[in-house]
Amino acid sequence: MNPSNSLGGDINPQQNPYLPLTGPPDNSQAQAQQQPAIPPHLKHQPTRSSNLKRQITDQLLAPIDILEYDRPSKKSKYPGLVSEGMDKRHPSSFQQLEKLGEGTYATVFKGRNRQTGELVALKEIHLDSEEGTPSTAIREISLMKELKHENIVSLHDVIHTENKLMLVFEYMDKDLKKYMDSRNSGGQLDYVTIKSFMHQLLQGIAFCHDNRVLHRDLKPQNLLINNKGQLKLADFGLARAFGIPVNTFSNEVVTLWYRAPDVLLGSRTYNTSIDIWSAGCIMAEMYTGRPLFPGTTNEDQLQKIFRIMGTPSERSWPGISQFPEYKSNFHVYATQDLRMFLPQIDQVGLDLISRMLQLRPEMRIGALEALGHLWFRDLGTLRAQQAQAQAQQQQFGGMGGMPPPGGYGYNSSMV
Amino acid sequence: MAYYKQPCDSYFVESHDDHGLRFREEIREREAHIKRQTQLAIAEDLSQLAIYEYGDCIQQHMEDMEGKTLPDVAAIDIQTEIQWFMRPYLLDFLIEAHSAFALLPETLFLTINLLDRYCSRRVVYKKHYQLVGCCALLVAAKYGDRKDRVPTIKELKAMCCALYDDDMFTQMEWHVLQTVDWLVGHPTVDNFLQLALDHLPYDPEVEHMACFISEIAMFHKEFVSIRPSDMARSSLALARFILGRSQASENEWAAKYEHKTLYSLSQQLHRPSSILSRKYSTAHLSRVSITLEDFLTRQASIIRCYAPPTPPAETCTESRKEPNSNNMPVTPTKPYFMTHLNNGCLTPPITPTNQEYTAGSANGMGMGGFSRPLTPTSMTSEPSNHQYSASCSLPPIGQIAPMF
Repeated sequence: MNPSNSLGGDINPQQNPYLPLTGPPDNSQAQAQQQPAIPPHLKHQPTRSSNLKRQITDQLLAPIDILEYDRPSKKSKYPGLVSEGMDKRHPSSFQQLEKLGEGTYATVFKGRNRQTGELVALKEIHLDSEEGTPSTAIREISLMKELKHENIVSLHDVIHTENKLMLVFEYMDKDLKKYMDSRNSGGQLDYVTIKSFMHQLLQGIAFCHDNRVLHRDLKPQNLLINNKGQLKLADFGLARAFGIPVNTFSNEVVTLWYRAPDVLLGSRTYNTSIDIWSAGCIMAEMYTGRPLFPGTTNEDQLQKIFRIMGTPSERSWPGISQFPEYKSNFHVYATQDLRMFLPQIDQVGLDLISRMLQLRPEMRIGALEALGHLWFRDLGTLRAQQAQAQAQQQQFGGMGGMPPPGGYGYNSSMV
Repeated sequence: MAYYKQPCDSYFVESHDDHGLRFREEIREREAHIKRQTQLAIAEDLSQLAIYEYGDCIQQHMEDMEGKTLPDVAAIDIQTEIQWFMRPYLLDFLIEAHSAFALLPETLFLTINLLDRYCSRRVVYKKHYQLVGCCALLVAAKYGDRKDRVPTIKELKAMCCALYDDDMFTQMEWHVLQTVDWLVGHPTVDNFLQLALDHLPYDPEVEHMACFISEIAMFHKEFVSIRPSDMARSSLALARFILGRSQASENEWAAKYEHKTLYSLSQQLHRPSSILSRKYSTAHLSRVSITLEDFLTRQASIIRCYAPPTPPAETCTESRKEPNSNNMPVTPTKPYFMTHLNNGCLTPPITPTNQEYTAGSANGMGMGGFSRPLTPTSMTSEPSNHQYSASCSLPPIGQIAPMF
């Protein structure tokens, strides 16, 4: 069959239609005749397989955005074809400042936009040449593109270079851990700050859950604080979208100290409640300045939790013996009063935290419900008072602290 | 369960080895089964809770996201090298790859979505079409699947018979991500199906049938730009009809399907890709492809009884949708594909969808009869004549219903 007759102009008949041509296509002439609209750089040039790869690479580097041209006027098909470079942005548009932190899969630097002078956080992800873009990066970036909220750190840009991926985030001054350490109070925070941070944390969590995203790694190091007292959720490297019904997930999630007991027991079907457990642990930590359950291993972590919350049994938690990591010989502890560990907490706050730190996931309060908890009712007035007090303090240059906000049996932790 | 766990462990093994081992094995299996069941029950409870608390917001967000992540058929139309008739081949390949790696059901839908979104934005060369498909699969798997299930580039490369180098995969993967602007979280048909079915008692057959129908639809251009929520509702309604289950009550979300989509879906159930039919003929997918085939045969015979004198050829031309009419490459492609069967590729040489394109023009050339190989799974009960088989296409629901 002669390709230049009326049958020409289509796929080389000897080829599976979508498989690449590995030799010189013999119908390139016919193709040119039949589709004169193809601009020269799109034409099928006869290639040898040896330089095929180079050619492909060139094409990949100069992709053509087909939406760039005028679609309705089909006769002049490619008037405005512009080849767009791989990246309009370049890492050199940011000045790299000091290192802020280092994780297993990324390093975070402080940076400055050379054009605008704006401070940013640059998260550098090393690319594995074997397996391409890490799944953590794919999840993190695509989820953060969906999640635009004032309590979630915002992703400005993604820059790709030869061997690394650079995520440009809004700059935040500190993480909660450093913020607590920087207080001269042994890490304890004052009552108003705790309430404000908890409210913002829960707002961020509620937004994630509304958008069917589990964070799965909430801890003080991943909560960022700025000078305005805003708190934002960061590091969505372990986050993922959850389906309904709940899929089975990995149970290698969440830093041990903030990991929920059902996950520690080996559950793979957890849901939004695992983020709430972490939030409860963080709340306690803000009161005391120390992690509530600083376990060393999975078993130790469970033991530390049971020592305070009491060892669960089939009676208090039907179905617990079916968890993969359940041991019938768990040391039996009686339930302690949380107040013993959090002497500064008020009655209403105690109610909230004990609803978050429920061993059974289905008993844990949801983020939305927690936001409506009585404990947050006076947040507005407290914030106003605090602002007023700070203004006064500035005015008189005095050393006096704020007046203690009223009525919750709150005592001396505020400095 | 706990009461026989401790004694049997030591006692039986020591005294009579073989018997004890087997017994222990059995118990362990039974225990594992019960554990799995408990886990499932817990998962059920938890998702009920999640739905109760976040259901509305999640659904709203999903409907929001589906709008942002729809492919654009009109844009794919202006591709110069790749043509619509090539797509079913690639889809067959991707379906096989997806099954081979045992990925989540939603990953397949996400893969096809990424592929089509890429093709709505970039000029794709014929020789890269498969590469784009593989990288879409890779991204989709990385997004949703467990780490140990995600295919390695080496495996994908082998599946493509080493047509592409490793670094071409990494480059294309990056390029797919950049083209879809890193917005991978497309809510799939599968996600919406789960949402619609969640509050009902588990009925795997309906679920699998609805999935099968939406995967058949995946092959057809007319559904590429239809919202997945609409696809989910329509396939669910059609699946329920085929299986004789009761439909969703009127005020339910699932009942708000587009009649147009449902109608076009019912027109496309014939001769699904043989790869797809084979996939859905397994027991763990309730053998729904066989059920569907039986249903269609039954429908055809009913129609034949009720409308005897009409020449079937006419029904055919009227009822069948015209395949898209851009400059389709024509006849001689088909027989040659056969010779390519032996290149070791997973890709099946012939899919019925392509058949439609070639059959139309092949009839004139007198080669329609032998151009189609008979696949063992789906062709047995089907008439071998083209016009004939076209005449048994499912009439719209409204027309069939009164017959029962």
